[in-house]
Amino acid sequence: MSPLTKGVAAMKKTLFALATAALVIVFAPPAGSQGQIPKAQLPVLTISAGQSNDANTVNAVLEEAGILYDYCDVPTVEMLNAGVGLAGKKSAEGFHVESYTDTAKYPKGTPYKTVIIAIGASLKGMGASGLTVDAEEARVRKIIDACKKKKIFLIAVHPGGEAGRGPSGSDNERMIDAVAPFADFLIVTKDSNKDGRFTKVAALTKAPLIQVDYALGMVDILKKVFI
Amino acid sequence: MTRERWIKSILAVLAVLLMLAGGLPLARHRHAQVPVVAGPGVTNVIKLSEFLPALRGTMADTNVYVLEGQEPGGKVLVMANTHANEPAGLLAALIMIENAVVEKGTLYMIPEFNASAGRNTKPGDGYPLYFDIPTEWGHKRFRMGNRDASPLEQWPDPDVYIHYPDRQSLSFNDVRNTNRTWPGRPDGPRMEQVTFAAMELMRKNKVNIAIDMHGAETMFPVTNCIVAPIKSSKIATLVSMTVKAMEGFDNHVEPSPQNFRGLSHREIGDFSDTLPFLLEAPIPFLDQPTGPKTTQLLLDGKDAFLLSLSKKKKLFVPYDENGWPMEKRVGQHCSVTLEILKQYSKKNPETAVRVRGVPKYAGLVKNGVGHYFHDPSKAEKKSVFYE
Repeated sequence: MSPLTKGVAAMKKTLFALATAALVIVFAPPAGSQGQIPKAQLPVLTISAGQSNDANTVNAVLEEAGILYDYCDVPTVEMLNAGVGLAGKKSAEGFHVESYTDTAKYPKGTPYKTVIIAIGASLKGMGASGLTVDAEEARVRKIIDACKKKKIFLIAVHPGGEAGRGPSGSDNERMIDAVAPFADFLIVTKDSNKDGRFTKVAALTKAPLIQVDYALGMVDILKKVFI
Repeated sequence: MTRERWIKSILAVLAVLLMLAGGLPLARHRHAQVPVVAGPGVTNVIKLSEFLPALRGTMADTNVYVLEGQEPGGKVLVMANTHANEPAGLLAALIMIENAVVEKGTLYMIPEFNASAGRNTKPGDGYPLYFDIPTEWGHKRFRMGNRDASPLEQWPDPDVYIHYPDRQSLSFNDVRNTNRTWPGRPDGPRMEQVTFAAMELMRKNKVNIAIDMHGAETMFPVTNCIVAPIKSSKIATLVSMTVKAMEGFDNHVEPSPQNFRGLSHREIGDFSDTLPFLLEAPIPFLDQPTGPKTTQLLLDGKDAFLLSLSKKKKLFVPYDENGWPMEKRVGQHCSVTLEILKQYSKKNPETAVRVRGVPKYAGLVKNGVGHYFHDPSKAEKKSVFYE
């Protein structure tokens, strides 16, 4: 090969390498950044941290997305460990259970692979379940510990907007403190993250963070997560 | 006549004149009629006393406008003026009566649910007796009512109102509040009879959905929302998410507390198969720290004191110099009602309810409330009813 031919070949290789690097830089965002939608597996359990109606919002979104789920507002660690069907528990006053998981695919007792936690504090909701803020926080932390031990993928959702926030130390912020730093994926409305609270958490934990304009926007996100 | 007799006579005459000056406007207000032009969708107008004859001939009896679609489907009861000092619901209900056409299912509309409260007032708070809505053909005048029924219909009040059947102790005047007397009883006080009759309407007609339209203060957290019990909460949540995203007004869902008895969103669901929804839109007029209770405040919701409180983040709604005009409140009620029908129908196609002709939030904000009222002087006499 002549020196000219060798030079041209080397230049082509260099140009190719530079172009590839440029493509990687432009199209592959670093781990933990906003915009990345991770994949999660079924079966999924939805729960509440704070007993606000936001758990219903998450359930409604899953239904719109065509994703079957189990739900309990105040599950115990034992119920979580019991898997699909939540040990056959039935709803009672202050305690709500729904089980829609496809048991043909995931028979009763199949361990949950994903837990979605709806963050939002409601004194009315906690009162109806016989809980104080302290008790609710302790209950949520136990569930999260159990999820971490079993390597269950945790998705934290905050759809409540500014109304679901508060000054430092308030009920809403305590629920965020108990859940957000341990989430593997964060989905929040832009209104919930006006002060960048969730952005800071995501930057520290490297968990992907998605912001939606409205709660309804979560339908497409969750479809991409599970389907 | 002695001097003393002269003074007493003059004072007696002055007292009578004062009573007449104060009482005559109240008497006129009590008997003032509001014409309603029944739209093309209205197939029948009955009285609530059809479901409880004890109401017949009393001021508590009220019109029920039936809009039955060509195709059978689900059934919906829409109530307004449960609290007659929250008139956005009344206006929304009348717009539906004058414009809606039901394609599938049936609507039962009760625009003056607490008819006695609609003929009551709150003189101690300086309530205006009437308010006018400008229309394309003039002004349409409405009575401004009060939260509770008039003592002329139901007297005396107990020291404590013991709710039936739960026996929860409620405030004495709640015995005249039709959002505390659900589910009611046929032989109870008059307002319990009203709510009992409505329960009978729902049970006998197997009504699928009940919507109760209200207004709440901007300083109260239960505003801009749907209050729903667990059995209605999924639909309420979808409705709330959808109107917020697609129609651009704030809305959230409040759970119906199980231990607060007498309210429509609690008792209708507990005592029938009907799914209840109670809608709240903000009404600055009712807030305590406002200026005088004028018709202008009622209609545009603009108040300097509330603006100052808003800047201090004391309000539960995004309030600014534009206030919270009637168009927005009526629009919210219309849109949320339509979305409830839509979301319910998606999940229950056999008992779907399809309605057309009712404006949504954007239309009401753009065109104003009066745009949707028809001139009773130009309507056929048989189409004009009176509230």
